[in-house]
Amino acid sequence: MVLDQAPQLDHLFHALADPTRRAMLRSLAGGRRKIGELAAPHRMSFAAASKHVRVLERAGLVRREVVGRSHLCRIEPAPLAQADDWLKFYTRLWTEQFDALDAVLKAQPLEDPAP
Amino acid sequence: MTTLRMSRRFDASPERVFDAWADPRVAAKWLFTSPTSESHSTELDVRVGGGWAIIDRRDGVDYRAIGEYLQVDRPRRLVFSFGMPQFAEGFARVIVEIAADGTGALMTLTQEDVPAGAEAGLEEGWSAMFETLAVLL
Repeated sequence: MVLDQAPQLDHLFHALADPTRRAMLRSLAGGRRKIGELAAPHRMSFAAASKHVRVLERAGLVRREVVGRSHLCRIEPAPLAQADDWLKFYTRLWTEQFDALDAVLKAQPLEDPAP
Repeated sequence: MTTLRMSRRFDASPERVFDAWADPRVAAKWLFTSPTSESHSTELDVRVGGGWAIIDRRDGVDYRAIGEYLQVDRPRRLVFSFGMPQFAEGFARVIVEIAADGTGALMTLTQEDVPAGAEAGLEEGWSAMFETLAVLL
């Protein structure tokens, strides 16, 4: 079952809990970026940016390729799709419950007539 | 943290909608069950700190939904933890809010997922995730 992936989702939450990393992901949504390019808007060192990228890599959100002396990062949307599965699963579950509740409320006056 | 929020209007008073969640005889007719279920049990100890457990058998498998009541305020608000151990680790928090709406009731359900091992500082994660997802899709 797709929902039973809690450890992976925990890495995902941790990765996304930080505004800098979220900004990096938004930047990567526009295409591949070098670590230095990811660091620039945040006025941080290469090392600090690289550390954030490692957290994103661990969550499966970013892949890093070494091209010559540059590290090129690209986004990997699959883990986010997994979270989307979560949303779809529970939306369907509750929609079914609400339909059943509606049917019960409509039937109830017939089953439980007022005394 | 997540926020899955869904609303539905019912042609019934807020009290009747609330009792459909809180009275086991009514809940047994609709909550986590289906007309094709082979057997079903609903145990609801509706008080703060009380537990609830619903077991529904389908195709020979007992599916369990379990949790604990966190707030009980008839007919406005019912808050409980919610887990389905066969599908996911950990518990979500479900908030059911019921407001009068003309001759009926508007019910809003909010599910906040708290993944196993997640700490308070990570709560921003879900909304951030969906925000990011919205950018990507």
